[in-house]
Amino acid sequence: MRLIKTISALWLAKVVMLLSRLLGKGKGSTLPGMIALKIYPGLLHSFSFQLRKGIIIVTGTNGKTTTNNMLAQILAGSGYKVLANLEGANLKKGVTAAFIKAAGLSGKINCDYAVLEVDEGAFPGVVSDIKPQAVVVTNFFRDQLDRYGELDTTIQVVSRALKNTEKVKLVLNADDPLVAQLCKKTGQAAFFYGIDFIETSITGVIEDTKEAKFCPFCGNNLKYNLYHYSQLGDYVCPGCEFRRPEPDINVSRVYKDGNYFYGSMYFDNNNINLSVPAGGVYNYYNALAAFAASVYLGIEPQVSAGVLYNYTSAIGRMDRFFYNDKPVLLNLVKNPTGFNQSLAALLAQERFQNLLIAINDNDADGRDISWLWDVNFEAIEEKENYFNNFICTGKRGEEMAVRLKYAGVSTNKITVEKSLEGAVSAALSQESEVTYLLVTYTALWQVDSILNKKAKRVGYSAESMPSVS
Amino acid sequence: MVIVLKVCHLYPDLLNLYGDRGNVIAFYRRCQWRGIEVKVEEVNLGDQVDFSSYDFLFMGGGSDREQNLLASDLGEQVENLKTAIEDNLVVLAICGGYQLLGKYYLMPDGTRVPGLGILDYYTEAGNKRLIGNIAVNLQMGDKEVYITGFENHGGKTFLGSVEPLGKVMSGNGNNGTDGHEGARYKNVFCSYLHGPLLPKNAAITDYMISQALKRRNKNFFLNDLDDTFEKRANSVMLERLL
Repeated sequence: MRLIKTISALWLAKVVMLLSRLLGKGKGSTLPGMIALKIYPGLLHSFSFQLRKGIIIVTGTNGKTTTNNMLAQILAGSGYKVLANLEGANLKKGVTAAFIKAAGLSGKINCDYAVLEVDEGAFPGVVSDIKPQAVVVTNFFRDQLDRYGELDTTIQVVSRALKNTEKVKLVLNADDPLVAQLCKKTGQAAFFYGIDFIETSITGVIEDTKEAKFCPFCGNNLKYNLYHYSQLGDYVCPGCEFRRPEPDINVSRVYKDGNYFYGSMYFDNNNINLSVPAGGVYNYYNALAAFAASVYLGIEPQVSAGVLYNYTSAIGRMDRFFYNDKPVLLNLVKNPTGFNQSLAALLAQERFQNLLIAINDNDADGRDISWLWDVNFEAIEEKENYFNNFICTGKRGEEMAVRLKYAGVSTNKITVEKSLEGAVSAALSQESEVTYLLVTYTALWQVDSILNKKAKRVGYSAESMPSVS
Repeated sequence: MVIVLKVCHLYPDLLNLYGDRGNVIAFYRRCQWRGIEVKVEEVNLGDQVDFSSYDFLFMGGGSDREQNLLASDLGEQVENLKTAIEDNLVVLAICGGYQLLGKYYLMPDGTRVPGLGILDYYTEAGNKRLIGNIAVNLQMGDKEVYITGFENHGGKTFLGSVEPLGKVMSGNGNNGTDGHEGARYKNVFCSYLHGPLLPKNAAITDYMISQALKRRNKNFFLNDLDDTFEKRANSVMLERLL
């Protein structure tokens, strides 16, 4: 009976997947999973036993997609057959769709590893169905608060689910106190990664809203010996024994030279260089998380480092289109930390630019857009001369215009354009050396398809969708 | 002579959820655009404060963990704050800050977490969070205004002898039942509205600035500003909700 259910759910889902592709409706990344789970809720559970080596889950606020893609590439590059939800479809239905895609018509999954990016809110539902061998947690920042109430709740949800999971190895960011606490909170064993020192030329001097300044165990003010950005750094609690754990994978210093971030570590009696294409500093953390997870899985460190050095998906190097000869860069923004990093990257350019910002407030974007006031747009003020025009669009473009005005941007440089198409046209055609487009989640695909019509894409692949997630 | 207004941003490290610092930014900018100088001081845990010396006090919302920390800290300075409020200090308290000024917070298990007890209302934990866009109608001086924002609170607040800030036109407000949103006492404005409240509801900001000037006996004519952007942002949400 279970086999019949599996097969019927699988086949129908595969037909839907094919149809939605043919009709060009989305990328068939979630609907098939939703339908299959309706027919047979146990589908994901039954699939999960078929993997020859195991399941790795990546969760956290920022860097999920990139970290997951990197880890999948490392494992594939080491000769393993990998199943992954590469398109960022990270709810249970998206995870299920990834299994459906990988399964043959008989329901057989011929893979060694499943590498899955899972949304923090969906995490308990997924790990109750499939038992991961390891869980990578990247960081916890404020994101889409109205969906989960508040950050504390999100962390509690993940923490509780981990505690209830039978023997799982955690791969944790030692520099984020909110993540590092999970080891003690859940009682699970952890493998830590971290960075001792990041040159300020990379982190920038942008002021962030620090999230956790308080010890998660005793409530005292955490002291920072060294501070990177947001709440990341080398922290110690004066009130109890909580402090940054000694990382198993510890990069001593990260610096930028040309188009690369360089860093090195001493591991297993070897000196290993971990260098990745430059983007925001968060990209280095993403690479480090993937690297640490792969090392924990027994992959040769040099092999992982090699894959990451050549990582093809354009991680935060936002160059992706050309309009005539003008580079056009598109990036997803979804929370203050990510937005600040994107802003720092484009302010560092010092090129004459048009900046389009599209803010939607659909469920997937987060209905509450107040977080825009936690982004440090004030940093623009002294570099305003590099900007020709700020074009605000999306369902809440008007609000974005207010934010820029109160950040001190001259109002004659701010335009509100209701139609996305009109806004993109203006951003492309108005005088500038470069055009940046920073957009929220549900505006991403729309803007992407408008750009496809109006500009020339440089190196497209489904996996290279611009993303800090 | 240049007029200087002093702003106290209370516990910015703790009460910093949902972009509420935008309220301080709005107050600051709308003064600056009129040639009024503003000094913003951040007051943190353990700092001694003379509230009367300020012209505008802002308290934002925090997570439950952080709110517990500061009730005890602020407790020692309650009398000082009470005096300043009676002396017409202009205060904006949002969400957690709003709850804190009241009598107590009733937990689901029946325990009462005491507030500062300055204003007459209490809050009780609800069984589901009240989340969503909200539109409120209120009287600001001689102006009737419609304001919009985003509410996200687990607590339900019930007013005693203080006036509500306004009437809920769409959304939940204080408790989702009595149609009240926020509280108003002298120059204290309490609200559940994030968004943040002041930037796109410029009429409130200007009213607060004028009250602050009045308290210092400053004869200053608050000229109108070009509020095209603010009005547009507000009307987009009003049109969606009403």
